Amino acid sequence: MKALFGIATVNRRDAANHALQAESQGWKKQKRQQWFSLLLAGLASALVALLIVFALVPQWIAPYSPTAMMTDRILQPPGTANWLGTDYFGRDILSLVIYGTRVSLLIGFSSVLAGVLAGGILGALAGYAGGWTDTIIMRMMDILMTIPGVLLALAIAAALGPGLPNIVLAIAAASIPGYARVMRGGIVGLRTRGYIESARALGASNWHVIRRHILPNAVSPVLVMATIGLGSSILTGAGLSFLGLGTVSEIPDWGALLSQGRGYLTVAWWICTFPGLAITSFVLAVNLIGDELRDRLDPRVGA
Amino acid sequence: MRHSVPKRVPYYTRSSLWISLLAIVLILSGCGSSAGTGTESVQAANGGTGGTLTYALATTPDTLDPQRSGWAVSVRVFGNIYDNLVVQDQDGKIKPWLAKSWTTSTDGLSYTFKLRKDVTFHDGTPFNAEAVKFNLDRIINPATKAANALALIQPYQSSNVIDEYTIKVNLSRPSEAFLANLSQSMLGIISPTAAKKYGEQFGQHPVGTGPFEFVSWEDNASIKLKRNDHYAWGPETVDNTKAPQLDGITFSIIPEEATRVGSVQSKQVLAAETVPPQNILGLQNSPDQQLLQTDTPGLPYTLFINQRNAPWNELKARQALQSAIDVGAIVKTLYLGTYKQAWSALTPSILGYDASLENKIQPNVERANQLLDELGWTRGADGIRVKDGKRLVLRYVDSSPNREKRNDIAAMVQQQLKAVGIEVQVNITKDIATVVFQNKAYDLYGNSQVNADPNALSSFYHTPAAGARETLTGYSDPQLDTWLEEGAVTKDSSKREQIYRQIQERISDQALIIPVYIFPYTVVASKSVHGLHFNYLGYPVFNDVTLTGTGG
Repeated sequence: MKALFGIATVNRRDAANHALQAESQGWKKQKRQQWFSLLLAGLASALVALLIVFALVPQWIAPYSPTAMMTDRILQPPGTANWLGTDYFGRDILSLVIYGTRVSLLIGFSSVLAGVLAGGILGALAGYAGGWTDTIIMRMMDILMTIPGVLLALAIAAALGPGLPNIVLAIAAASIPGYARVMRGGIVGLRTRGYIESARALGASNWHVIRRHILPNAVSPVLVMATIGLGSSILTGAGLSFLGLGTVSEIPDWGALLSQGRGYLTVAWWICTFPGLAITSFVLAVNLIGDELRDRLDPRVGA
Repeated sequence: MRHSVPKRVPYYTRSSLWISLLAIVLILSGCGSSAGTGTESVQAANGGTGGTLTYALATTPDTLDPQRSGWAVSVRVFGNIYDNLVVQDQDGKIKPWLAKSWTTSTDGLSYTFKLRKDVTFHDGTPFNAEAVKFNLDRIINPATKAANALALIQPYQSSNVIDEYTIKVNLSRPSEAFLANLSQSMLGIISPTAAKKYGEQFGQHPVGTGPFEFVSWEDNASIKLKRNDHYAWGPETVDNTKAPQLDGITFSIIPEEATRVGSVQSKQVLAAETVPPQNILGLQNSPDQQLLQTDTPGLPYTLFINQRNAPWNELKARQALQSAIDVGAIVKTLYLGTYKQAWSALTPSILGYDASLENKIQPNVERANQLLDELGWTRGADGIRVKDGKRLVLRYVDSSPNREKRNDIAAMVQQQLKAVGIEVQVNITKDIATVVFQNKAYDLYGNSQVNADPNALSSFYHTPAAGARETLTGYSDPQLDTWLEEGAVTKDSSKREQIYRQIQERISDQALIIPVYIFPYTVVASKSVHGLHFNYLGYPVFNDVTLTGTGG
């Protein structure tokens, strides 16, 4: 029953248990690696926290206004005045990256939220109701799943036109089937558990059973998936923005920055590189956190 | 079900790794859109024949029907398919082409052309006076929906076929620009048989008498032309007046500027147009590539202020724009010294260019602020000016893709106008026809026109006749109208210059436009390409092109 989720998961503590049985030296090594991964997750959390601060109060941190075009300082390489250099308008890259965090994160968080809500509700409905409801919902999810997520988002964004709500909608829609499947898998597994049947036998209503017994147990895999999904949402958002389907505003997001700088890659590598690094490090950080979360929330560990 | 994992080593990096990889792919994906159109040119060149020239264009042509096109990029393609009655040499003098000779009546109202007798269209239709009459009449027929050709052919009225190879063309008033206009590719002679056969679809099946014949057009990808083997009537402006050496030309459409230039460097195409300024300096010293450059005459890239809407119908508001927009900074920043700043409604090489306008209007933020204050627009809380509860908004429309960094001009104007309290809403659209020409939903829109005669100003600044296409400014000025009409008919060239100088000064004084840059048409080509030059209007001419080596 956990196969669905299990495929995507590799359990660290399972591995640790094996190692424990094997030899004590290996156990020490495992312990060290546990600390290491915890440290990585800690660093990752710190980075994400920093980026969230960037998104909330960029004006406190950025050295320049992101729209200030210092035309006497165009295409400056990284240096003391402009730490990450300037672009072809003479805008400060560091300030642009800091301000760009807001839209990038907004796209990431809101599309994950929308995807989790819609996918979660559909999956829960399918898993708990079973029968025809299950078949119809899940077959629809299967159809959606046959289209690669990025392609689906691209198609939706192209059809709706550029703009923040549209890009969020496009990314959310593309992620719905994944969340729905995980949610449904969890619920189908729980539905036949003894304590659920006992609750039913005691006359608990469907709503009560879902709310008190099923959701708390089914939600953690979705939470893990959502964390990792945050990274890919931001990446997809940057991709759509790069292709000109993103937000149209004075302050470009990371994807738009990449797009603006790509014509200058051979003469001013820094315009593209730093927004690219911002995307990469954020996605990496979110994935590290997701991995750690998964290990901690995995019901099979029983910790 | 339990998993046993033999090695747990970098499990946490797996999902992260491919996502990071994707991010890198994303960065690099800008370089991936062109496909190998160059291979066939290499093969052809090896085959001992003239080879095929692959030439990358920045945008796609609208149509290859010269009479219905309005775009320079289309001329670069169909200029090879069609010939004109006359040609303009490098000094701007009119020379014979399909017309061997001509005479003008003393009142300037009729031209009699003697035509060449040895010319046939690609489809076998003979070229004669009937064909010329068909062409001229087709342009003024409203059913044709002619674009720039309609403005160029003014004041054409009618024509009479005198004999098979003699035609008399009648004008409604004299025009000094008429012969020069006849040399423009948009008045190239099309095959009457094909025009009748294809009707509306002629633009996809162009047939002319030119050195190259149309083969195929794949939307947004490529246009293929092949040599016209029968060609023997090239004008004296080219060395090779016979059939070209090249087997054909393949125009590929590569909008992405880095990809376009990269395609020449990677030898996927032999030549590419519109080299971005940041690459020009590097290419000038390249061992494998050559950089060809020519300034295009006519109307420079100009921002037209639409004065149909308040407050831009008020002179002071438009003058505020003139003072607030620092064109010099824009041109220097975006084009890195490779483009020249424009100061007037005309480019410097055109007759009557008014050099006194150079450096006349300097950026002056205080003056702009003062003018807007005088009009009663006061700063709101966010710095944007407000009057009677209305925010001071300027709608800046530009087209996509970002040709010649025009979208970046919009971004800079947005910041410069914010400084004086004007909120600029930038609308980058693919659908200029609807937004600008149909809905007129713009306050500022940029355009340019390639032309050889100052009379080109008429279609931009003269009050349009009923039913004709409206001007971008929507401004109607009897004084300008009179001068523009005089300029078209005045024979004495120093008088004519004087008239056009007055016109340029009036346009500047009325603050109808913000001239931005003079476009240098740039081509980067492999050093194996020889004999590529440009005509008087800056369009590439392929008659003399030869390829050496293995095509790369």
